[in-house]
Amino acid sequence: MKHWLLSLALLMPAMAARAQGHMHAHPAPACEGVGLACASAATPAFAADGTLWLTWAANDRVLVARSADKGATFAAPVAVTPEPERLDNGPDSRPRIVVDASGRITVAYAVFRDKNWNGEVKISRSTDAGAHFSAPEPITGGSPSQRFQSMEIDSDGRVFAAWLDKRNVAAARAKGEDYAGAALAFAWSDGGRFGPTRIAADNTCECCRLGLGFVGPGRPVVAFRNIFAKSERDHGLIAFQDPNTPGPLHRVSEDHWAISGCPHHGPSLAVGESGTIHVSWFTGGDLRKGVFYARTTDAGAAFTAPMRVGDPTKQTGRPALLTIGRTVYLAWKSFDGERTELRLSVSRDDGATWGAPVAIAATGDESDHPQLISDGRTAFLSWLTVQDGYRLIPLDRVS
Amino acid sequence: MNRRTFLSGTLAVGMVRPARADIHGFGRGGWQALLGAHAGRPLIVHFWGLTCGPCLTELPDWGRFAHSRPNADLVLVAADPVPQPGDRLAETLAQAGLAGAESWSFDGRFPSRLYFEVDPSWAGELPRTVLCGRGGTQESWIGTADFARVTTWLDSQKA
Repeated sequence: MKHWLLSLALLMPAMAARAQGHMHAHPAPACEGVGLACASAATPAFAADGTLWLTWAANDRVLVARSADKGATFAAPVAVTPEPERLDNGPDSRPRIVVDASGRITVAYAVFRDKNWNGEVKISRSTDAGAHFSAPEPITGGSPSQRFQSMEIDSDGRVFAAWLDKRNVAAARAKGEDYAGAALAFAWSDGGRFGPTRIAADNTCECCRLGLGFVGPGRPVVAFRNIFAKSERDHGLIAFQDPNTPGPLHRVSEDHWAISGCPHHGPSLAVGESGTIHVSWFTGGDLRKGVFYARTTDAGAAFTAPMRVGDPTKQTGRPALLTIGRTVYLAWKSFDGERTELRLSVSRDDGATWGAPVAIAATGDESDHPQLISDGRTAFLSWLTVQDGYRLIPLDRVS
Repeated sequence: MNRRTFLSGTLAVGMVRPARADIHGFGRGGWQALLGAHAGRPLIVHFWGLTCGPCLTELPDWGRFAHSRPNADLVLVAADPVPQPGDRLAETLAQAGLAGAESWSFDGRFPSRLYFEVDPSWAGELPRTVLCGRGGTQESWIGTADFARVTTWLDSQKA
């Protein structure tokens, strides 16, 4: 009975979508369901047993489905959000999912709580292999806004979440002081509720996704668009010394992008087995414009010179990074006015040298950002497109 | 009664709906259509967004600029990555003193294509301003405007 009700709920058009019929209110939704075909962003994760778990946002609902055949087919989706919510649908927002070694699933997503784009990050869990999800709960309290949550599991199985938080903005304003941007906040979970929220850095850019990885168990590393000097929205990196002690803030690159505006375009980060931290980012700085890559072997104290990625005249953006051993995969989007192409470059030597970029996939309509994941052996490119559906593309034949 | 007075009047009694009709859809080919409609005249195009905090902070400055240079061709284009409701756009423009300004809003869910038509290297950062000269010249920047620069440019365009 419960399954029947849930299926019915999934087939019903989202109320929010119905209310958006007027052309100038919103474009007529391309489709009104909450299935993967109607999703605007999809995030994958592999479980230890090789099952692919995918979470997506569609018409103000968050769904999860699993695939036993690497994305070729999916089991019936399960709703994480019991009711439609006003999901954060900005370009760098997406639901996140992690699956721990015992199969417990945690999903994190953000909603808008008012008309001023203040957000709230919510957490839902499944302890029965995705059959049911717990009622979503806020990840934290005492904060007027949280957005751009990211979440990863370290090698000890603990879940690390980081997000952009405006509690210190509110605190500064209460004292009549100015506060630029937002703060980088974080919390840990051992499988249950997240523990206390801590702030790793103040005055970050407030509208870009984060790049997460680990340099060891309990030692996260976060790349994020920071605000340097008064208004330079270049990238910073913080490698933690222990679970609750953020290390110093290092500048990834001096691009000198002084912008009082919204890039909505955050970085990607991956850590190789040697501890090398790889970062790729987008900038419109005075010194360089486009997508770039750099790496550090000393937790951010020194970075290599930025390497250009892709063609800057083709709207190159949305980089994604992944490592397997010493192999580094770097994917990005490129647009020629008609077709969006996913391009990939591979390094077999921990990022020292890179192969020529190759086109992996293309589509003729709107598409999600590329996501790179691995089941421990093979790298996959995960891509959701309006025209060509969802694709999980193995990269084992790419040299 | 000119259009600006009419719009201001309707807005004053809280009816923002009629203003919505004045927000044109900016779809494929919208950029060329906009340029074509103003061909031969200096044109200032300001791309802003409801989802862009700095844009909203700056918008009243554009309202003041519009009132200081009422004969300038100033066009506002809402370029939110996800199109925003027309009544909220109209309300925000009116509050910024821009109820009478020519206004467009991105249509559809494929903004990359529209960014590309404006500038192939534009990834959608807001705000963005483009100064389109009489002779087809274009200069643009991302971020808030230096109005002294806009004024100087406008004066340099006098026939």
